[in-house]
Amino acid sequence: MTSPVLAVARPAARRPVPWRRLAWVSWRHYRTASAATGALLAVVAVYLVVQGLQMRNAYAAVQACATPSTPSCRFALLTFHDTYGNPGFAAAVYIWLPALIGAFAGAPLLARELETGTYRFAWTQGVGRMRWLIALLVSGTLGVALACAAFGALLSWYQQPLVDAGIQHRLHPSLFPSTGLAVVGWGLAAYALGVLAGLVVRRVVPALAVTLALWTGLAFVASNVRAHYEAPLATSSLQLPAKDLPIEQWWSYNGSRVSEAQINQTLQAIGVQQGGGTDNFTIGPGGGSIDPVQYLLQHGYTQWTSYQPDGRYWTFQAIEFAWLIVVSLLLLAATLRLVRRRAG
Amino acid sequence: MTIVDARALGRRYGTTWALRDCDLTIPESHLVALVGPNGAGKTTLLNMIVGLTTPTTGRLTVLDGIPAGSPAALDDIAFVAQDMPLYRHLSVADTLHLTRNLNHRFDDAFASARLRDLGITDKQKAGKLSGGQQAQLALTLALARHPRLLVLDEPTARLDPLARHDFMATVMAAMAEDGVSVLLSSHVLAELERVADHLVLIARGLVRLDGPVDDLTARHRVVTGPVGQPFPGGWTAIGSTQAGVQQHLLVRVDSAVDPQPPGWEARTVGVEELAMAYLRDATTLPHLAAVEAVR
Repeated sequence: MTSPVLAVARPAARRPVPWRRLAWVSWRHYRTASAATGALLAVVAVYLVVQGLQMRNAYAAVQACATPSTPSCRFALLTFHDTYGNPGFAAAVYIWLPALIGAFAGAPLLARELETGTYRFAWTQGVGRMRWLIALLVSGTLGVALACAAFGALLSWYQQPLVDAGIQHRLHPSLFPSTGLAVVGWGLAAYALGVLAGLVVRRVVPALAVTLALWTGLAFVASNVRAHYEAPLATSSLQLPAKDLPIEQWWSYNGSRVSEAQINQTLQAIGVQQGGGTDNFTIGPGGGSIDPVQYLLQHGYTQWTSYQPDGRYWTFQAIEFAWLIVVSLLLLAATLRLVRRRAG
Repeated sequence: MTIVDARALGRRYGTTWALRDCDLTIPESHLVALVGPNGAGKTTLLNMIVGLTTPTTGRLTVLDGIPAGSPAALDDIAFVAQDMPLYRHLSVADTLHLTRNLNHRFDDAFASARLRDLGITDKQKAGKLSGGQQAQLALTLALARHPRLLVLDEPTARLDPLARHDFMATVMAAMAEDGVSVLLSSHVLAELERVADHLVLIARGLVRLDGPVDDLTARHRVVTGPVGQPFPGGWTAIGSTQAGVQQHLLVRVDSAVDPQPPGWEARTVGVEELAMAYLRDATTLPHLAAVEAVR
């Protein structure tokens, strides 16, 4: 066996390994995840574009109705509502897609190195583990943000007719976190959670499970907090603009809120019971000849509706994006700190 | 040049000390053998030297005072970890390119020529190579960085005898041609007998023996004499066996003392025999964790 003679060339001054070399390392690291994400997005995109175009045709037909109050036009709107108004299984996909993109990019990043032992290779190269990790985190963050932003934009385009028709609300918890800026924030939160969970759990599959569980918990908390980013408005108008998101309805009398029991007491006179909601009535024996809402209004009651106006959409998006970015950066900073101090 | 300088070095995992009170100065050597039984603390010490693990106590520098784990240390030390971790799904070409991109120096010509000699082709997946080829690939990646110190953790533990021989031949060639110093841990003593010029022996988290091999063998003797015969003052018995009325002792001798007092027969000792005696001696000592609990 012949061994070539080694030529030793040592640079006089030590400079860190250039970032551009780490670009290839990052690309090679995420290549499979990028391809998988790309394929997933492509499938979702084909579905949304095909469905979206069909829906636009159907919506155009609804809008083309010359007199919306005619039975045929009302029927057309109802059909449109029934066909496209209930996303079903797709709604779960919309909510979870940013989480899946982020978690599958983030959780294996350190967990696989620790699980297979390759961290002992990666972290003992001349580049050093911090520069290696920063390069991977930056490229991962950019990739996840890009994929999520693309998905959010596509979903917003798809939902546009439903939002215009007042069937879906941009501020609704089933749509809000999957569009605009928030979708990027939620994807990055999943990514950052995944990276840290991978470092702590040290195995890929459990790290993925932990990431998705924590993400879901965070999403649940956020869906309850979101309505309070700004205090909801209240109106006594019976017809809320179609795009605004209703939150709660109640009756008042002489300026103070009244209980359901009191409403029912009043409605006994016309044989109607209020059941779960201010305009949901059960007609009892002998009742039904008088409209209960009109009856209550005539007797001095006022119906109030609290709501978030659709115009606040981008403000809310910015608020949600901002705190999600802060959370993600804190998680990534914790990861960097732990890796630097990590005991092998 | 000092390869490794450790002062009061210790590493604790939870409540257990993997390594404790380690004072170690390894001068410039060709091949330093770090020996000890499994779980002795060898990997912990090597991990600290290559910067994977931070010490709990004490101070550790490498290559004339460079702090372990610093960028300069990472740059000059190449590490081949136990079981040769490689990215199994990467092709050989991608593995080379990855290592090239993670280092200042990477000798492409050297790496390509070596892999060609080994019959390893670019398109093969690292995970599909034989155990011996994986070991050679990992070693090639390390050597192509032209390190000043090559650290190998149990490199031959899982290799068959032929692959083990080829691996050590590559290490020897690099030592001769590149002048790289090698720090190698092993619990197989036989393969180190003729090649190591410095020996560090660890058992139960403590350094039991440390020094140039020539010094160590010069300072120890196997002596034979009647059972119960008085013991010269300059001798410290490390191990003993009895055979009938005769006893065989492995002793450490002070240089001032006559190496062969009357009534005793003495002979020189080999590295393996020496290491075995110290390891056997260490097993009779209480475990470090138990010592800690008493303190």
